[in-house]
Amino acid sequence: MAQGRSLLLSGSLVLLLGGCGFGTLQPLRGLNDQLQRAGTGQSPSLAMGWLALISGQSGREQVLLVELGRSMPVPLPGLNRPDAQPLGVSVDGRGERLALVRQLEGRTELVLYNRRTQSLQPLPIKPDGVPRQVNISADGRILAVQVSRGGLWQVDLLALP
Amino acid sequence: MRRRAAAPLGLGLEGREDPALSGDGRYLASVVERGGRRTVLLQERLSGRVVPLRLRGQQPHSSPSLSWNGRYLAVLVQQGAKRLAVVEDRATGNRLPLMLPGDLEPERLSLSPDGRRIALQLLDQGRMRVEVFDLGGLLEPDLAPAQPVQGGGPP
Repeated sequence: MAQGRSLLLSGSLVLLLGGCGFGTLQPLRGLNDQLQRAGTGQSPSLAMGWLALISGQSGREQVLLVELGRSMPVPLPGLNRPDAQPLGVSVDGRGERLALVRQLEGRTELVLYNRRTQSLQPLPIKPDGVPRQVNISADGRILAVQVSRGGLWQVDLLALP
Repeated sequence: MRRRAAAPLGLGLEGREDPALSGDGRYLASVVERGGRRTVLLQERLSGRVVPLRLRGQQPHSSPSLSWNGRYLAVLVQQGAKRLAVVEDRATGNRLPLMLPGDLEPERLSLSPDGRRIALQLLDQGRMRVEVFDLGGLLEPDLAPAQPVQGGGPP
C-alpha cells in the first residue's frame, strides 16, 4: 500500500516536472564579460552565430554586432552615426541584414543595413507612422515593425527583396 | 518591396505591439490587449489564423520571441511581483520558466532561432545590460530544414 502510494507520488512528480519544469540558466561567461566591458546593453537580437544589440557608454549608444564564436564585435561601416540615437535593432539568421529603428534629425526612421554590401536602405513607413520595435525573420525574408499611427500601435509586415 | 498590415484579429480596432516572427516567417507573435491585460497572441502570418497557446494568466506578457519553426515561444510573464522569462514548447505543451540568479529581472528577451541560447536585457541597479545564456541542456534544437545537427558522433 505504502509502496503503491510512493509510486503514485513519484509518477505525479514526473508529470509535474514534465508539464512545467524549471530551467536554471547557464551564462556564457566569456561573451557576457565582453558585453559588460562594452557598456550598457539593450534591445538584444540573437541569430544563429550572432548577437545584435544597442550598447554604449556615457549616453553615446551604437549598434553592435557580436560574432558569438569569437565573442568579438565585427565592424559595421556606415551604420552607426554619432548624431543618431538607435532605438531598436534586429538581425537575420546569417548576421547579414540588420533592421534598425533610430532617431535622426528629429525624426524616427526604419533602415535596413546590408553587411555584405555595407549599404543602408531607408524603409519608408506607409501610411505615415512612427516605427518602434522591429523584428526580422531569421531567413531574412520578412520584416515586422511596430508602428504608431493615430495614437494606436499597429504591426506592419514587409517582404524584403 | 511588398508591404501589408499584419492579419486582422477580427476583434475591431485594437493595438498590437512587440512583433516577433518565427525564423521561417510562418508565424507572427505579438502582444495585444485582452480584457485590459497585455496578452501574447500567436498567428499564422499569411492566414491570420490564431494558434492556441497554453500560456494563460501571468499577464502582462511582453517581448515574445520565436524559434525557427515556431516550436518554441519565449516571452516575459508576470509571476507575483516578479517578471520572469518562460519558454512554451508547442510540440509538447511544456512550459519552462527560466530562473535567473539573484534578484535580476529581465526587461526584454531574444531566443536564438535554433532555441539553443537566449539573450536577456536585464536591469541591474538602474543599469541596463544584455547577457546570453545557454539553453542547450534544456531544449531540443528547432532547426531550419537542411541545417546540420551538431554533436551525435563523427560524420
